[in-house]
Amino acid sequence: MKETTVQTDVLVIGGGMAGCFAAVKAREAGRDVVLVDKGYVSKSGETPYAGDTAVFNPAWGHDLDAWLTQVRTVGEYLNDARWTEIVFRDSYERFLDLRAFGVEFLEEDGEPVRLDHPLTQIELPDRDKFPPLVSQVVHWLPGWPAKLRKAVVKSGAKIIDRFVVTELLMEDGRVVGAAGFDVEGNATRVLRAGAVVMSAGGGGFKAVGYPTHELTADGHVMAYRAGCEVTGKEFLSPHHTNPEEPGWPPIYPVFASGHSAAFPGAWHDPEMVNAEGDPVPVRGMAWHGWIDAEWEAHEGRAPVLAAGPPDGKVRPLSGPGGHGSMLGHAAGGIVPVDDTCATHVPGLYAAGDSCGTCFVGAAYSGFGFATMHAAVTGARAGLGAAEYARSADRAAPDARGEAEALERALAPLRRRGGFTPRWTTQVLQNALAPYFVLYIKKEERLRAALTTVEFLRDHVVPKLYARDDHELRLAHETANMVANAEMKLRASLLRTESRGTHYREDFPRRDDPDWLAWVRLKDEGGVMTPFTEPIPEESRPDPALPYAQRYPMRLPGEEAR
Amino acid sequence: MAIELIDPELCSGCAACVDSCPMDVIRMDPDQAVAVIRYGEDCMMCELCIVDCPEDAITVTPFAVSPAVRSWG
Ligand SMILES: Cc1cc2nc3c(=O)[nH]c(=O)nc-3n(C[C@H](O)[C@H](O)[C@H](O)COP(=O)(O)OP(=O)(O)OC[C@H]3O[C@@H](n4cnc5c(N)ncnc54)[C@H](O)[C@@H]3O)c2cc1C
Ligand code: SF4
Ligand code: SF4
Repeated sequence: MKETTVQTDVLVIGGGMAGCFAAVKAREAGRDVVLVDKGYVSKSGETPYAGDTAVFNPAWGHDLDAWLTQVRTVGEYLNDARWTEIVFRDSYERFLDLRAFGVEFLEEDGEPVRLDHPLTQIELPDRDKFPPLVSQVVHWLPGWPAKLRKAVVKSGAKIIDRFVVTELLMEDGRVVGAAGFDVEGNATRVLRAGAVVMSAGGGGFKAVGYPTHELTADGHVMAYRAGCEVTGKEFLSPHHTNPEEPGWPPIYPVFASGHSAAFPGAWHDPEMVNAEGDPVPVRGMAWHGWIDAEWEAHEGRAPVLAAGPPDGKVRPLSGPGGHGSMLGHAAGGIVPVDDTCATHVPGLYAAGDSCGTCFVGAAYSGFGFATMHAAVTGARAGLGAAEYARSADRAAPDARGEAEALERALAPLRRRGGFTPRWTTQVLQNALAPYFVLYIKKEERLRAALTTVEFLRDHVVPKLYARDDHELRLAHETANMVANAEMKLRASLLRTESRGTHYREDFPRRDDPDWLAWVRLKDEGGVMTPFTEPIPEESRPDPALPYAQRYPMRLPGEEAR
Repeated sequence: MAIELIDPELCSGCAACVDSCPMDVIRMDPDQAVAVIRYGEDCMMCELCIVDCPEDAITVTPFAVSPAVRSWG
């Protein structure tokens, strides 16, 4: 099988919004850049689906404190306020960059049209008791992702499409590149770099009806294995689909055509009706009807019906199976250690959904925040990596380490038999998809799922085999999903309270004395170890504020508070 | 069943859909110079291929069939 070595200053892994920004900015800083993607830069990952982006701009009448308060309240105080502010403050510059890339926005009289948070149009319980939803988005016009790619090409960065990265190359505790193979043909490549930006997106479990099956937490898992800390894994980005026609509505045409603008709040499922014909209560300002439908199912009141875009037809809803794919929504990822998105491992930077800035906290509070975050952290990581690549001395290549990495990459192809990635994925989905595992959680159920996941990890993953080039990619994705499942279960077990999109039936209330803290995971001698990190003192809510006012979202059982 | 058809009569062999498909469902048939469905079971119904096909040659339906659960595989 063909083998190539590529040498560059900055290697960017994943070409969505974050990776494209990282590549362009690292080029602007004068470094050579290679951008790789297992799909096609700008056409895979979540980026092509996004229909809008938030932009904070005081000249448009935006008030920083009000925006920060929105995130703090909806994110239930677990947002890293420093990062929230950085993302807001940088966002206008990134908006100008996008315009310079040729991205067109919906405009009126030469000014971008600003749309309010869709939930401002929906009846919510006790709305007047809580800070207003003030964030605004702008809408880009269809075809915009191609402009991102054009900007990368124009910058002089080299693009390698359809290339799967399998692991980061390490030397002396530093990241010095990555290894992987072509999707078609499986030719291997060693990518040596002065610094690496991990922008490989988030990760779910290939939930049917949610078209992010290529996002299998590869970035989180590769960085974790290299020694990074990972955070936010107990939170979810709950999006519903319907079991009868899971591919409907087709997400890309609905979102990226600007169609979503025509259905404000539609994805919050505002008009869900349960099996008894009663309207399902809206619990609060966290978006996407968090836990509403799941609780109805739990209480034996499924099917839950809802009208969805783009045709308004009523269909039964189902959850997409505990996926946390939209990590911008779910707050988690590789922990950055400074505002250049450097990580705990020198030479590695993280951006976009791969980067766990915790800028939104325990629940997603504003439309358009995810792409805004990806653009801002992408640019920062690109500049940070460029500077590291410029100033740090290069390690001499470790030929043996590289050869071993390629051997591991191809290992499933060398096995004559064992377990197929598809079967293993199905077993994993069966363990995680039911609502009572990752949505309505409880210790014994989390432990039961963890037992299955540990068995997959120890017994099945080492025996995954691939019958051709396509299955080799699936084998690596499957192994990463198993690791991601372990992260989600361990983080969920540790957080013995309910907050944001993390709900524990056995700990059904927020616990401010003990849990104004982030859960982090790191590898300690081969053992995945969760631990907590308290949020800064100044981020804590005012304890004098009555509970019901501290927390606008009503958890099950809090309806009549 | 997700992606159902790439109409060989309509397909011009431009390969745009091969690049568009994030799941590597579609490959070019080297003999026929048309795109073919190679790994249909991995189709996630995103319709990105349809959006990029200049010839309207691709049909994707919103239905998915889950394989039977087996003891091993
Ligand atoms: C349906 C949908 C609608 C959305 N709508 C909005 C919206 O309107 N507004 C908003 O702000 N946000 C929205 N989001 C969220 C937003 O799109 C994402 O948070 C954002 O695009 C993430 O960008 P990213 O660059 O970090 O990751 P992604 O765009 O996911 O890119 C990651 C890239 O990494 C590549 N990759 C992954 N693993 C590997 C590997 N092992 N080797 C090589 N490459 C790899 C993938 O192929 C992919 O191209 C939406 C998301 C979805 C799914
Ligand atoms: S619908 Fe999406 S996953 Fe299916 S073949 Fe088309 S591009 Fe690939
Ligand atoms: S994009 Fe359309 S015309 Fe081009 S190869 Fe694919 S099916 Fe054929």
